[in-house]
Amino acid sequence: MTDRDESDALAGEFVLGTLDPEERRAAEQRIAQDPAFAGAVARWERRLAPMAAIAEPVEPPAGLWARIEQATGSTTSNVVPLRRVRQWQIGTIASLAIAASLAAFLVLRRPEPAHVAVLAPIANGTAVLLATEESGGRLTIRPNGAIQVPTDKDLELWALAKGDAKPRSLGVLPVAGRALIASLAPDTQLLVSLEPRGGSPTGQPTGPVVYGGTLSRVN
Amino acid sequence: MPDSTALTDDTATLLHRCAYGDRTAFRMLYDRWGAKLHGIALRIVRQPSLAADATQEAFVQIWQQAHRFDPERGSAEAFLFTLVRYRALDIVRRTAREVLGYEGEDAPDDSPDILSRMVASSEGVALKHCLEQLEPTRRTMVTMAFVDGFSHGELALKLSIPLGTVKSAIRRSLLALRECLAA
Repeated sequence: MTDRDESDALAGEFVLGTLDPEERRAAEQRIAQDPAFAGAVARWERRLAPMAAIAEPVEPPAGLWARIEQATGSTTSNVVPLRRVRQWQIGTIASLAIAASLAAFLVLRRPEPAHVAVLAPIANGTAVLLATEESGGRLTIRPNGAIQVPTDKDLELWALAKGDAKPRSLGVLPVAGRALIASLAPDTQLLVSLEPRGGSPTGQPTGPVVYGGTLSRVN
Repeated sequence: MPDSTALTDDTATLLHRCAYGDRTAFRMLYDRWGAKLHGIALRIVRQPSLAADATQEAFVQIWQQAHRFDPERGSAEAFLFTLVRYRALDIVRRTAREVLGYEGEDAPDDSPDILSRMVASSEGVALKHCLEQLEPTRRTMVTMAFVDGFSHGELALKLSIPLGTVKSAIRRSLLALRECLAA
């Protein structure tokens, strides 16, 4: 057996579940440190997954959903999950790191915005775009620094109303910012996705969501 | 909007919505997959309370790790099944069977017919075909390991085969499956 086979067989055994606890822990550590091995594990997961069809479904105990809700915090804020969107989705977008506190300063200079949202990259939370909505529904999106977009892509702005499953397109967002009339409710999430030139062809985000923030009332 | 139901309701989309903190989607995933995941866990850990723990931990991870789901690396179902299997394996390795010597009920009879449950997907058809190419004892080892969570040692005990033989048979079977699936 070659080293490569050896390593791949170990990945297969990990997925199959036959390793003893010590070997299992060692394999878990290797997954975290060795991308090639992690890839082999992922391929085995995909290969063997159909065997899961053999186990018959069994109704879980009645209280289980309540336990899951409790364990996941049923009142999660809208902002936190956004930040969990995978890091690679930030991809080719580079942004200047500008402290979120600058956002507050910019808000103060504007005439009485009713709502404000700080749009940050999903991974690190640094403000990149600032959205303000005045009482007439005029929404202004301004960059907080230089935003770079690949030449074959456009940014597109989306509004996801609280409780809605699907965002509504607010159109392509030039890197220099944009003003529009939108009349959004507080707690609406503003999302920015990376789309083909001219915007999403489907009416829903097709590329990664790179920035997001929630529109909040200004106190 | 063309066929919006299909867009929002398939498992991959529900996972994607969970990544954005959509609890409605999370609940829909539970309603759709709770029994299946619990069945997978129960088959491995054998005790209902431990199976519930595994199912709970799996759903907590689904919520926390939905953003890790990558459709290019596997189906949404495989993502869910993998999470619950690993939680069940963690539990069974650290608790019942080892510490208490708990044996649980015998596994349901796994005649070759059980493989027929796999034909719902094209991936399942391919894997079934490849499993059928294995010598019957090896096929049993692989399915018992995956479905019932038996370790090398447990398989050796159950099948009265030396441990070393079990280990090498499993490895050869896995590599044979890999070749067969690539063909």
